[in-house]
Parts: sequence; C-alpha cells; structure tokens
Amino acid sequence: MLKSNPSVSLVFAAALSLAGCASTPKPMPEAAPSATSPAATDTAKSDAPVTAVPLKQPKPMELVVQARQDTPLVSLRLVFHTGSIDDPKGKEGLTFLTAKLMAEGGTQKLTAAQLLEALYPMAAELTVTTDKEMTTLSGRVHQDFLPRFLELYTDTLLAPRFDPAEFERLRANALNSVRNGLRSEDDETLGKVGLDALLYAGHPYAHFTGGTVQGLQSLTLDDVKAHARRVFTQDRLVIGLAGPVDANLQQTVTSRLAGLPATGAPRVALPAVPSSAGRALILQKPTLSTAVSMGFVTPMRRGDPDFFPVAFALSNLGEHRQFVGVLFNELREQRGLNYGDYAYAEHFIEDRGNGTFNRTNLVRTQQDVSLWLRPVVPANGVFATRGAVYFLDRMSKEPLSQERFDLVRGFLQGYTRLWEQSDQRRQLQPEKLAFVFVTEDADGLAKTLKSGAPSPITYASPKSPELLKLDETLIQQKLPVRPDAVQVVPAAEFMER
Amino acid sequence: MPRLLPLLLMLMAPVLPASAQPQESSRFFPYTLKTTKLPNGLTVVRVPFNSPGIVAYITSVRVGSRNEVEAGRTGFAHFFEHMMFKGTKSNPEGQRERILGGFGFDDNAFTTDDITVYQAYGPTAGLPQLIALEADRFQHLEYSEPSFQTEALAVLGEYHKSAAAPDLKMEESLAKTAFTRHTYQHTTLGFYDFDDAQVLEAVTKHYGSWKRELATVSIPAEPAQTKARSVHVDWAQPTQPRHVLAWHTPAARADTPDAAIQAMLAEYLVGDTSPAYKELVLEKQLVESLSVPTSPHRDPYLFPIDATLQDEKHRAAVDATLRRDVKALVDGKVDAARVKAIQDHLRYGLLMGMDTPRDVAIDLAFYAGVMGPPDALASYLKQLGTVTPQQLTAFAKKYLVETNLTVLTLTPKPAAGGTP
Repeated sequence: MLKSNPSVSLVFAAALSLAGCASTPKPMPEAAPSATSPAATDTAKSDAPVTAVPLKQPKPMELVVQARQDTPLVSLRLVFHTGSIDDPKGKEGLTFLTAKLMAEGGTQKLTAAQLLEALYPMAAELTVTTDKEMTTLSGRVHQDFLPRFLELYTDTLLAPRFDPAEFERLRANALNSVRNGLRSEDDETLGKVGLDALLYAGHPYAHFTGGTVQGLQSLTLDDVKAHARRVFTQDRLVIGLAGPVDANLQQTVTSRLAGLPATGAPRVALPAVPSSAGRALILQKPTLSTAVSMGFVTPMRRGDPDFFPVAFALSNLGEHRQFVGVLFNELREQRGLNYGDYAYAEHFIEDRGNGTFNRTNLVRTQQDVSLWLRPVVPANGVFATRGAVYFLDRMSKEPLSQERFDLVRGFLQGYTRLWEQSDQRRQLQPEKLAFVFVTEDADGLAKTLKSGAPSPITYASPKSPELLKLDETLIQQKLPVRPDAVQVVPAAEFMER
Repeated sequence: MPRLLPLLLMLMAPVLPASAQPQESSRFFPYTLKTTKLPNGLTVVRVPFNSPGIVAYITSVRVGSRNEVEAGRTGFAHFFEHMMFKGTKSNPEGQRERILGGFGFDDNAFTTDDITVYQAYGPTAGLPQLIALEADRFQHLEYSEPSFQTEALAVLGEYHKSAAAPDLKMEESLAKTAFTRHTYQHTTLGFYDFDDAQVLEAVTKHYGSWKRELATVSIPAEPAQTKARSVHVDWAQPTQPRHVLAWHTPAARADTPDAAIQAMLAEYLVGDTSPAYKELVLEKQLVESLSVPTSPHRDPYLFPIDATLQDEKHRAAVDATLRRDVKALVDGKVDAARVKAIQDHLRYGLLMGMDTPRDVAIDLAFYAGVMGPPDALASYLKQLGTVTPQQLTAFAKKYLVETNLTVLTLTPKPAAGGTP
C-alpha cells in the first residue's frame, strides 16, 4: 500500500561523486579531449585512460517531429545540452536545482500554486530531468488544452518566477534526497551512484546529478538566475514534438522559444578518464543485504562499429529485468542468490514510467559498461560478485553456442549477424572492472576482497552435480580487485561535497 | 497448491479506432471491448489498439494476499506468482524463457492484496505459442522441491531490495494495527493483424479443457473499529518523519461509487491544488510531500493520508491542518469548482496513462480483477464523472471519523554519530 515516496526516490539521477575520495584529482574541464576515433582507441590495455569524441552539436533549436494523427495526446520535449557537467566547482547541483526551480517554481504571471492549479484540470505533465550532459523539460497534454498548456510550458523557460520561497523549498527537498534518499533509503541506487563516483573520480561526471550537500548549501538564488541564462540557450536546444503535430504548432513553439538567449556559456570540454581497473569502493551503512555494481568506462557509443555486437553480447549476459540473460539464470534461477542480475552496454537509468526500458534523452559523451547485482545476503556478496565476473569472463573467451545465439538474435530481432562482425574480447575485459558494494560489515568485506580467499557457498536445497562442479570454479574465481585500492566510505559521508 | 479462480484473459487486438469522435461517455476510454465467456467460465476480452506488430496479453487472477487465511502462510500468493514461471511437464523449466525470449517478449507478473496479474508484451508473431504456454501453465504447473526452495531465496531478495526505505515497515505496522481479523492485516492483451475468430479459437482450444474448480476460502470479516488506534515506528536510519492518518473505508465495487469517491477525496484533501498542500508544502514548508498511497481494494480497506514532514517539530501543526480540512468536509463546506477540476484531472489522467497496449490492458485487468466485471474500468470512469459534493460530505461523515481512525507516526532515530 504505502509505495515509495516520490520525494525520496532518486528518479532524477544515477551518477555521482565521491566526497573526499577522489584519488586522482585532475584539473578537468579545461583539458581538451583528443580527437582519436573511439574505434581506434587502444582498448587492448585495461589500464589505459579513456578518451571519447565530443558529441555532435545540434543546430540551434533543431526540430525533431514525429507526427501521428490517431492520438489526442501531444508530447513535447525540450532537450538542452546542459547537465551536471556544467555545475561550477563547489556548486554541485546548480544545473539540477535551476531546472527544477524553472519547471516547478512558477512563472512571472503565476505563483507555483497558481501554476499547479492551471495545469491541474488538464492532468498535464510538466516535468524536468537532469543528467550529466542533458536536461529535458517534458510536456504532455491532451489536445483539448494545447494552446493554454503551450503558454505555461514555454513560460517556465522564458519567464520563470525565481521565487525565493520556492528556491528554499526545492533546495530543502534536494538536500533530503542526498541525505536520506541516496545515503539511506535505496541501496541499489546508492551502489550505482557510487559506481559513477568511483569510475569518474576527479571528472565532471563524478558528482551526483542532484548535487552534493555542501554544493547545494552554497547556492544562492542569484547563482540560479545567472546559470539559467548561461545554459538554457537556443544553441543548446533540440525540440521534439510528437502526436497530432501540425505546422502551426511547430511555428508556435519555435517562435516562442526564440525568446531564449541565443548563446551562453562555452561548452565544458571533458577530459580523458583515468582507468579505475581493480578499484573497489565499499559504502558502509546499516543494511540487511549487500548491493553490488561493477563496471568500466568505455569510449564506445552507438555509432561505433563495436557497439551493437557488444550490446548483443551483454543482452545475452543480462538484459535488464528479463528472464533470458545468463546472469539471471545462473545466479538467480539456479542459485537463488538474489532477485535479479543484469548487464548494460551503455549507461542505464530505468524509466520508471515505462516498465523495464532505459530512460530516453540520456546521451553521454562518455559511456560505461556495467553489471548490476540486486542485493544479496552479505555472506554471499563475494561469491555472487565472483559469479558475475566468471560469466562475463567466460563470454569474452568462449563463443556463444548456436542455440544461445539464435535465442538472443530472436530476442534482439534487429541485431542479426552483429556478433560475428567483431571480436568481443577487445571490449569486454573483466580486468577493467571497478566494484562498488553497499553493505554493513564493510571491514569484513574489505578483508575478504583483499585476501582473495575462496568464498564457499551453501544452499538450502539440493543442486545438480554440474552446478556444484561449476561452483568449485566460481568460489575461487579471481576477482580483478587491487588490494591497495579497496576503500571504505561511510554512506553518511557520501556526496557531502 | 491453491486453486485459482480465473477471471480474465484479455487480448488486445490492434486495429484503428472505430470512430475519430468517440461519444462523451467513452471519451476517457476510447477503446472497444469484445468480451466472450467460455463454457468453463473463463472470460476473454479483446481490445483493439493501434500498435502494429505488438500484442499485450494479460491474465488477471482474483487471488492475492487477501486469500492467505492460514496462520503462518503469509506471502504465499506472491510466492506462487513466482512459481508460475517454473514450468510444466510439456514445457519444463527454461522452455518458456527460450520460446518467449526468442520472440523478444517482456514477460512478468505482479501480485497485490487482491489480484495476481500475469503480463506478456511482445510481437504478435509469437501469439500462438504464447496462448499455448499460458493455457498449459495455468492447468499443469509442475515444479520440483529444490526449485521451490531456490525461488524462496529470490523472493527474500525482493524483500531486501525494498527494506532500506521505511515504507515497507510502515505498511506492515499500519495494517497490523488497523486490522484485527481480516487478512489485509499482513501484507491478456497488442497489435495483431489478427483475425479475432482465430485467436478466440486458439484460446478456446487451449483453455477449453480447464475445469472450473472454485476454491472456497472464507476470509474473516473485519469487525467495525470502535475507538481510535495508533502505532509508532522508530526508524534506525536517516529518513524524514512521517505522519499517517488512516480510516477504514468501504470496498471498491462496480455497482457503488465508493472507489470513485475515495479517488476524489484523496485529491480533494491533499492533492496539488488542495488547501493543505498549499499551506503545508508550498507556504509554510512544514511538509515535503502529501499523498494517499492506496488503490481500490476488493474488501473494505483503508484511506491513508501520508505526510512526509520536514522536521519532527511540525507534527502537531500538520496533524491539526489535516484534521481541520477533514472536518470542513464533514461540515459540508465543499468547493464545487475544485470537485469539477478533480473530475477532469482524474479522467484525463487515466486517459494520458494509457499510452501503450500494455497500459490499457493492465488498467482493465486491475479494475476487473478487483471489482469483478470485465468492464469495471468503464463503470469506474462513469462514476468518477458523476460524484457530487454532497456525496463527498456524506462519505466523510460516515467514514472519516475519529473512532474509525488509525494514526501511524514514524520518527528517525539513527544511532549516535550517524553511522554505527
């Protein structure tokens, strides 16, 4: 009955920074990325820094239309090429809070309460999400209300109220989200945010999209007003319209948004990301279970010749919340270790409104490959991690059986024949992995990880001889963890600054 | 193994909407239901939806934790939902994943207090295989003891993933306090260029031999509450204080407006345009959020107002404001303009939520599963449009009263020093 409270669910983000443990601080945003093509990047060495090619810049107010006349619902997306990478140092959370205040804090004509009242009978959606490099203002409305809605929707950007009381309210909520939501109430999200912090230590991706405690506390309303003019500009905007869209609607939207500043702040140049291979971060907090995330940074994005073969391979290993993956079958179905185990070829944030799919408008210059194990009982934390590494390693060394290939090909109908076109071993190297655990007995886990001692497993039910035989390998699977790079951080201090 | 009472098998069939201008009565649900009842009692509903190549196939079973009457056997309905994926003699464990996985189906299920909903969403090319698999598992489920024990651990993992937030504990505590006897105290449908007759024939063939065996489970009636109750939870980790007022309210039924009235009351009392929201969230900022986290139930359940406080010291003021607004309603002071806006909000909101064939199918399955008739969603939408201010007052007078109230308070008590 009492579902999770939207105010504390971290729907807005999955990436963040590790307070006080950036062991490789670099003067980031200024370093120019090399122009090396991602495909040509040397991925054979597991500890080489990763450089990605900058994203293609949109034309100012580039318009994308998907017209469809058989629905009464109009969907609008204003996607700005700005995100937490634009947060100045010491003001982490500025882009998130600016976007939130514009979308929810009222307009010059309407207070926040009046804006809610105007939207209410329409049941219209007006929400904003901020990621590392993209901030999306989403609108959706029945065509009965389109003209009135368009005015409200565009006014949030063109004439935001910047009400001091709303600024304080939304900042208080953002602080709650870090102190309570992130650190305490959702170990799975904490593990994923921890992984971003570990993989991108010292990089503009490292801090939580929703801000750090000290960053949020340092913000002023003037910071927000100035930031809005710097980043919500025509040259960063892509406009998406779908549903019953006609020329008149396109014209109305583009002419109104021409009221935005033409240009603003220069783009942040993203530096190369040093390798985190073998690092482990243990976030310590009171909890019943151990949450595990692992991954590595990759220059590979959609469009790279390797991307679809790798996506195919990782779908085979663990398509998000589906029954077909190897990890799901081996770790959950056969061994009952937890509720699910998945693998991702690009950064993944579940779109809570749409079941099991990735959120849209999550474009990132710098991508990561990751594996996610839902919470396991603490005694099985290392065994489950070894199991995941074993199956990733096996897949990178042994070809898929024809049967598995056909199954996954059927599953990913469009991705036929891709596996054959690339050597998976170039991309999926377990030794590149870095690991994050959320658990209570952090010191015990750290000791086990450093020692490399086998992690025996016992089951409540009989298992087949084949499974037990394979377990003999799993319990001593080498984890690519460097004993000198295992770090314990209390969750209560995570994302403090 | 419990016997199942099958209610609904729904197929969403994709064709263009019949009319570009639906009548007012169907404006908020512009889909046509084709309903057939098989001789064995199974109801088959097909709904046209314009989603080329995609079908949503949903099976709603009227069984949930409500049916768990045996002592010490709570959580069984949900556990059984998991076991339904463990195979039959003709389709042993793994076969379902191979067949449906090969087509790219999103295959899942969920269990509520009242119903279990099985959902498969994917290409229509796989529909014949899907129908055969679904009919087979509902009639011939067969799994091994070790498989049962292994799955129990996965379900425990599902519990663990939710245990870090206080909501699960709050739900358990509130239900245990508000209910003394009733079991609430523990906590097929896409696009098909299909020939409707052909699908119905396949369904009849595969499900036709399924014998109707009605399980008789006697669910204890909850006696009327005679005085206010309260329960307090101390939470050992960082979180915000919570304040919940929950009253016993009547069941959701297709032939009464009670479900519609409760949906309207939730919006009226604490929705985004309510006086309480404006005062507590926006102006005084004593509260981060207000919600009524409940959904229609088959038996009398609870109407809970859940306030997430910014600070423990605001508890008394928040409690007073919420009670003040309930009292105004009881006294007959109802803002009729807001009632009208709420009707629009809820009906447009439901329509906006039905974006894909799966959305439509799950909404249909949910209301049909809880209320009974396959077109229960239509009845509910109709009721929403006709609720009057007088009905809201009459309902509040009867149910939102002190003797019928359970108050839950939650206070964060993290160990000293923050992190033990």
